[in-house]
Amino acid sequence: MINLKIDGKNIEVEEGTTVLEAAEAAGVYVPTLCHHPQLTPYGGCRLCMVDVEGARTLQPSCTLPASDGMVVNTNSEKVLNARKFVLTLLFSERNHFCMYCQVSGGDCELQNRAYDEDMTHWDLQPNWQPFEVDASHPFMVLDNNRCILCRRCVRACGELVGNFTLGFEERGADSLLVADYDVPLGESSCISCGTCVQICPTGAIIDRQSAYKGKEIDVEHHVGVCTECSVGCQRDVLTRDNHLVRIEGDWDAPLNHGLLCDQGRFLPLEEDRPRLLTPLVRKDGSLKAATWEKALEAIEAGLGKGKGLAALASTRLPIEDLALFKSLFADGLEAELVTSLEEGFPTASLAALADATSDPFEDSLDALKDTDAVLSLELDLVEDHQVAGFFIKRQLQDGTKLIVADSDENKLADKATLKLDFKSKFLDQLLDAVENGSDDDGINKAASILKEAEKPCIVYGEDFAAQADEKELQALLELKQALNATLIGVKGNANSMAASQLGLDSPFKSNGYQSAFVMLGDEKPTQKLVKALEEVPFVVAQAAYGSQLTGNADIVLPITMWAEQSGTYLNMDGRLQEAVKALDAPDGVLTSQEALLKIAERLGIEPETDWEASLKSRVPTIEIQKA
Amino acid sequence: MKAFRSMVLVSSDPDSMERGALDVFSKLQQQIKAYDLDEEISLSMISDVSKKGRDPLVLVYPDAVIYGSVTPADVPHIVEEHLYKGQVVEEKQISPYDLSGSVAWLSARKGTLPAENRIVLKNVGLIDPEIIDEYIINEGYQALGKVLNEMTPEETISIIKDSGLRGRGGAGFPTGLKWQFVKGAKGEKKYVICNADESEPGTFKDRLVLEGDPHAIIEAMTIAAYAVGANEGYIYIRGEYGLAISRMKKAILQARDYGLLGENIFDTSFSFDLHIHAGAGAYICGEETALIESIEGNRGEPRSRPPYPTTKGLWQKPTLVNNVETLANIPAIIRNGAEWYKSIGTPSSPGTKVYTILGNVNVTGLIEVPMGITLREVISIYAKGMKDGATFKLAQTGGSSGSIIPASLQDTPMDFDSFKNAGVSLGSGALLICNEDVCVVDLAKVLLNFFRFESCGKCNPCRIGNKRAYEILSNISEGVGTLKDLDDLLMLNDQLYELSNCGLGQTACSPLHDILTHFRAEVEAHIKLKICPTDVCPMSGRWAYQIDGYRCNGVSLL
Amino acid sequence: MSKPTVASDWLCGCAGCHMSILDIDERILQLVELVDLRATPITDLKEPDEDGVTVGILEGGINNTYNEEVAKKMRERCKILVALGDCAVFGGVPAMRNFCGAKAALQRAYVDAESNDSEGKIPSDPELAEMTHVRAVHEVVPVDLFIPGCPPDADIIFYALTELAQGRIPEIKNDKLHWH
Repeated sequence: MINLKIDGKNIEVEEGTTVLEAAEAAGVYVPTLCHHPQLTPYGGCRLCMVDVEGARTLQPSCTLPASDGMVVNTNSEKVLNARKFVLTLLFSERNHFCMYCQVSGGDCELQNRAYDEDMTHWDLQPNWQPFEVDASHPFMVLDNNRCILCRRCVRACGELVGNFTLGFEERGADSLLVADYDVPLGESSCISCGTCVQICPTGAIIDRQSAYKGKEIDVEHHVGVCTECSVGCQRDVLTRDNHLVRIEGDWDAPLNHGLLCDQGRFLPLEEDRPRLLTPLVRKDGSLKAATWEKALEAIEAGLGKGKGLAALASTRLPIEDLALFKSLFADGLEAELVTSLEEGFPTASLAALADATSDPFEDSLDALKDTDAVLSLELDLVEDHQVAGFFIKRQLQDGTKLIVADSDENKLADKATLKLDFKSKFLDQLLDAVENGSDDDGINKAASILKEAEKPCIVYGEDFAAQADEKELQALLELKQALNATLIGVKGNANSMAASQLGLDSPFKSNGYQSAFVMLGDEKPTQKLVKALEEVPFVVAQAAYGSQLTGNADIVLPITMWAEQSGTYLNMDGRLQEAVKALDAPDGVLTSQEALLKIAERLGIEPETDWEASLKSRVPTIEIQKA
Repeated sequence: MKAFRSMVLVSSDPDSMERGALDVFSKLQQQIKAYDLDEEISLSMISDVSKKGRDPLVLVYPDAVIYGSVTPADVPHIVEEHLYKGQVVEEKQISPYDLSGSVAWLSARKGTLPAENRIVLKNVGLIDPEIIDEYIINEGYQALGKVLNEMTPEETISIIKDSGLRGRGGAGFPTGLKWQFVKGAKGEKKYVICNADESEPGTFKDRLVLEGDPHAIIEAMTIAAYAVGANEGYIYIRGEYGLAISRMKKAILQARDYGLLGENIFDTSFSFDLHIHAGAGAYICGEETALIESIEGNRGEPRSRPPYPTTKGLWQKPTLVNNVETLANIPAIIRNGAEWYKSIGTPSSPGTKVYTILGNVNVTGLIEVPMGITLREVISIYAKGMKDGATFKLAQTGGSSGSIIPASLQDTPMDFDSFKNAGVSLGSGALLICNEDVCVVDLAKVLLNFFRFESCGKCNPCRIGNKRAYEILSNISEGVGTLKDLDDLLMLNDQLYELSNCGLGQTACSPLHDILTHFRAEVEAHIKLKICPTDVCPMSGRWAYQIDGYRCNGVSLL
Repeated sequence: MSKPTVASDWLCGCAGCHMSILDIDERILQLVELVDLRATPITDLKEPDEDGVTVGILEGGINNTYNEEVAKKMRERCKILVALGDCAVFGGVPAMRNFCGAKAALQRAYVDAESNDSEGKIPSDPELAEMTHVRAVHEVVPVDLFIPGCPPDADIIFYALTELAQGRIPEIKNDKLHWH
């Protein structure tokens, strides 16, 4: 432990703490600009300089390791002059027009630092050299006039996301933020994760969707889990006057610590499907608006029960809805088929393995954040589950090896140490190679990489799970043992794991069903599902948005979309997290739960509402815990 | 190796080559063979001993005769008269004092001049750097042999510490102490780096060692690696030094061939190998942490220190970074002992220093003299006085960010401590001597332009402050400066010193500060009287850096 | 003891800062107890008194030679010069003209604008002031007090004027300091 004095306060910190961290711990405020708690300290902006007794010059507190007996002064006259000097230079370097910038007035860290120093004017005027504005990207605008060259975006794109799109060209006063080798951002290798937008302290990188729509003082925050995939990142949904303004990552979230992907951050605001606002009942061949009463009447008349009834639910819906759904249709109506829209594709085989071994075998996503070798099976983590992909990509520069085994093209292949062809019996062969060596060079190399690694990790997703037979899965478990590896199973949608726990994983085969109940939520139905349902004479759909499926249905009930409902989600590594309601639904639109309860009441059924108990109905692939 | 009675050396620098040195060389070869002298006379090409306009040169040893502007037509006559009959061809002979920009002082020099003491430049210009045997014959690799076979790493460090050798890259840090830090640092894997980035304007001392005596560096780095416990090293040579890079590459290959690099050197358990990394045109990469970043493949931006490279350097491993000149001293110290080294120079700064003499003097070039001679001695004795009888006005020591020395400080002994006490810096040893025709505002402007251009851009004060200072000086040189500008410049100097991330920013404005201390009246003349006393500055009365709002059509610089 | 006198003028601005002054609403009655409002662009007297005023207020930045004259005159005739609003303090919105130059701006406005129905012509009357690079007021004359804002709130202006009226230099900071 180290003892030092900051502004007269004594504080004890651990070895390796920087002076800035020590000051924070002591409750002493030191202004910063290029610093961010998620990034390695940079020491570029020189705003955090402090006076250290005995040092030749002022020292940057963000990078200076605290040492025993240090005496630090953070507000001597020298320090205050230095801060004003740095800020004055920064304002004069580029064109910082506060009057019409959308982050001006509380959201700009540069401006706020100037306010902190009571700056009422600029001692140095800018040189009025205009800089490029890059508006080529669909979601972000890069305005070099407002850039303070703090490199937070460059470091985030590299250290947090591992994409390394943003960088700097030229040197000195000609330094410029560029994408790749100076191409427009919209044509670059940018994957639109938006981390740079979130981390930019000024208005240099801004979000197009929410520009001018809401400053910090105007908006409300709703922090909850993202419902786009089974990673389960925490995100902050910003609303204003019951409108979605922007989605941001939550820097304090333990799993994703601020990271999101375009699916969770930008795409939800691009929703353009028609919204369903009233119940619809088919009369004389076409769907007509009706009251809830009329719709429930029609459901009672046509739904049926037992054999001939199929019920399918979206895995984007909260566990509460899914448990209620199961209780109503499986227990209450004893429907012939009660399953999810995914039909168990990402989970069935693995769940069966857990059933057989009675032992959870998968590990937490945190293992992926600190691994020295990754074997990825039929998975690229580039189209979906991107944040898990970031965990891998960002370690590749530090020596972590990546083995990609895929039967198809894999988008991570060009970053991989080794690309292998994934065929059936692959894991069997690999296990053999680990134990006895192999004739196949590729598999041999993979085996030696994994054997040498101290913390190897095997990652697989639904494509692997769907084709894996018992023997392959056995091999998987044995590999885990032999290599002391962690296993990470990527699971599909936000609640695919919950659906699996509830047993909603049977396939939907055309079996002459008479009626079907589809709890679609806000999911986009697949063509396959639409086609399959065309064979069913009576279809009831619960959906938020109109689609071909609802267009073909006999009864349509309007329900909430993801932002209008709260609920619990079980992510791929067993964390139970809450999604938080951010918007009020339009009048007349109910949540799936409320709709189900209405139906249950109508049919005289009292469904089970203890979803927690129903989650325990089978052994999970990974222990479930409340996050 | 054969013994020859005469050595004939032909200069092979780019200028000489352009003027047909190769033809001269082949003609000499042909003629020497024709006279049947090829068993007695060794003929080689050597590195830069040129003076513009006098290339190519042919030097004959041990006669210490230099022939200038030699053409193939001159060759038969020279070979017949001098090499065959022994008579110097006086009409082609040039005085050694006419040579500049290189090692021009031949050991057979007569006269009352204090002898140079060549330790660093011992072999430069006297051996063929592309033949390893010539290095070996001249006590080459003896020090390495001694160290590996007779000394422990601790003893090696001890002798360097005792010798008092201080870093010659500019900072003057005690070398032995640095070696000890790296030795004591935690970790198995360590690196040794030779900083051959030499980008300081006016300095080319390292280039001569790299081109003329590459094996000295290889030997020194191997000794250093043994002492600190490293087995891998890098030589970071600036990209512009094409000849140095190719010669060093060749030297490394030859050393490996002879078992002097690689596994089990001298049949001991010690292994060491070297890589060459070429720079790409950034002055900032001479700063040791920026150099390390560059080797790692990142932008050459200095890191925050602490931690220092001695604990966390290349790939975060303990790394020793030494300048070429510093390393070139090592073999000699090992061979001759610490006491010998301490007997040269001054107590606080033992040994010699290679100075580059530039500017308005009669003889420019490199000299290697013991530490402690004064500037006046340098000018009057070695540089043979100010050119055309001009008056000394100022000298800049130590490179572009070095101190400006007015006439009053000419008698300060040039060693690290005496200089520091007088408030000036010795730096890397470039001595720019200026006469009364040099305008101090123009000089400051040129220096600041250099720093503005070379700033890496990581930290705000240096990136923006240097540009501002340059703009202010440009305005002063156009005659539109104000007295407030001088206060601003001094303020920029103070703040840049306090706040910058590395030495570039910290010292960029210090020549300016010296100028304002010693030559303020001249600067004020530009402002108050709107004249340039030396008639150098444009003084057009127009702003260099302000935009005419009406005429500007907004053409961006991008 | 006569009350301190206040005069104001506007340069290259939108007059919004003066509207903001008016936004002090009925507090103007309090204000005139403390100060004597002499010249403003929106009252009868247009120029500051020849024998000087205590406080001079300038809104707007320097955009042409006429602005320079007005600024210099105000500086000469007042003890404390206040730069009011972002245009006066920083150059403000008009300073965007510095990116394209006055020539291009005039061309766009008088010749190329979509709303011009006939051959546009850039005014060239010799009596028109010459356009310059757009600058903040303090680049032309020394300023004693800066009140940024676009516009500064009426509350800030009221506070500043009452402080000045009582012989104190107001502290523009915390909730009184905003640049937007």
